[in-house]
Amino acid sequence: MRKNVVASFITIGVVSFVLALYCATGFAQGPTQPHQACSPHQGRCLDIKPPNLPPAPANWKAPRTHDGKPDFTGVYAGAGFNHQLGPNDTDTPIIRGFDAGVMSPTVPGGDAILFRPTTGKLEIDDPIGLCLPYGFTSQIFSPYAQQWVQAPNYLVIRHEFINNFSRIIPIDGRPHQKDIEPTWGGDSVGHWEGDTLVIETIGLKQWWLDNPHPNGSLWHSDALKVTERVKWVGPKLVSYDVTMDDPKIWTKPWTEHFDMVLHPTWNLLEYVCNENDRCSQGNCKESDAQKK
Amino acid sequence: MKASIFASIVIVALLLSSVALFGHHSEAAQFDTSKPIKVTGTVKKVEWMNPHVWFYVDVKDQNGATTTWGFSGLPPGMAVRKGFTKDTLKIGETIVVQGFRAKDGSNNASGLSVTFSDGRQVFPGALEVGTIPTTK
Repeated sequence: MRKNVVASFITIGVVSFVLALYCATGFAQGPTQPHQACSPHQGRCLDIKPPNLPPAPANWKAPRTHDGKPDFTGVYAGAGFNHQLGPNDTDTPIIRGFDAGVMSPTVPGGDAILFRPTTGKLEIDDPIGLCLPYGFTSQIFSPYAQQWVQAPNYLVIRHEFINNFSRIIPIDGRPHQKDIEPTWGGDSVGHWEGDTLVIETIGLKQWWLDNPHPNGSLWHSDALKVTERVKWVGPKLVSYDVTMDDPKIWTKPWTEHFDMVLHPTWNLLEYVCNENDRCSQGNCKESDAQKK
Repeated sequence: MKASIFASIVIVALLLSSVALFGHHSEAAQFDTSKPIKVTGTVKKVEWMNPHVWFYVDVKDQNGATTTWGFSGLPPGMAVRKGFTKDTLKIGETIVVQGFRAKDGSNNASGLSVTFSDGRQVFPGALEVGTIPTTK
């Protein structure tokens, strides 16, 4: 009897520890369920659907590199898609942002950094309308393709949008650089936790958090630390969890779960924002097609 | 008939809202949602370029005079992922286009929906139609 009680306590302790570890590593979100993602301040919501992919077969194994690490090489639709796949390897781009429902409460003064009401100036309200960088973390929500190329010590992520923004990330466990000058891409370093690739990014300049919102824009501060956790969960499906830690805005870190879908037939397109920007700031330019 | 026109305007307004709220190049700043436009004409040219696809339609008036209208769509990288390719619109094909006029009064507009002669519709300027935002 006593042995049973002791065994029960040990079991409860082990389970609690594992659950705590599970949550602490940012996998509290689990697979995508149908839900609404709503932006802070605006009340604008989008219906998010689980990817319409079949479950992974029982004998399925994640692709691996020669050194045995999971291999993420491929062209993906990331968090900027609703992942309703159609004929001919199509997918469904959407413009979404982080869900207010998973964000932590803000610290005093944090909301003033997070939300900027519409100003009428594109460099604040919609900087990509001026072909300025999307920046990280907005880049997470790019509704365009992104190509991942993995080498033993590096991962290269090249996006279509904007102007083929690229990240070159050491994934050998090295620490961050010292004296980082804040940039739109920040300083990213990666390491492995089992089959999960963990990428930490700091050194970001204060910039857009995600995407346009109806009455203003959302921003992160220069104190933001982003942790991405990437793991294969099916033949075309990669789990992508993002933990946001910005002590100038939120009281504690928070995590949101997203999906990435591999698209075997996709190739990355070139994107030059200034190529044919005919209606910049509301003034349309005539085209050759309109001249007689 | 009036109901049909109203319904068309509402549908197009909803489509535009999905772009205006979300569009990357500030469609809300470029096009006037109080000025819906619906034209019938032939495809003159397609510019498959960033930051947005543009296509041009020759529209004849009652006197036979031709005016070329320019319509803005999604960027190529977004359009192609949802199945709207550079070959979807054929030069010389007759189409009906609905959108909203440019704020500067030029012969430009947002090209939100295109209807072909056989009734098929494509949405070169709209994001996922099924995820029109709702307001709580």
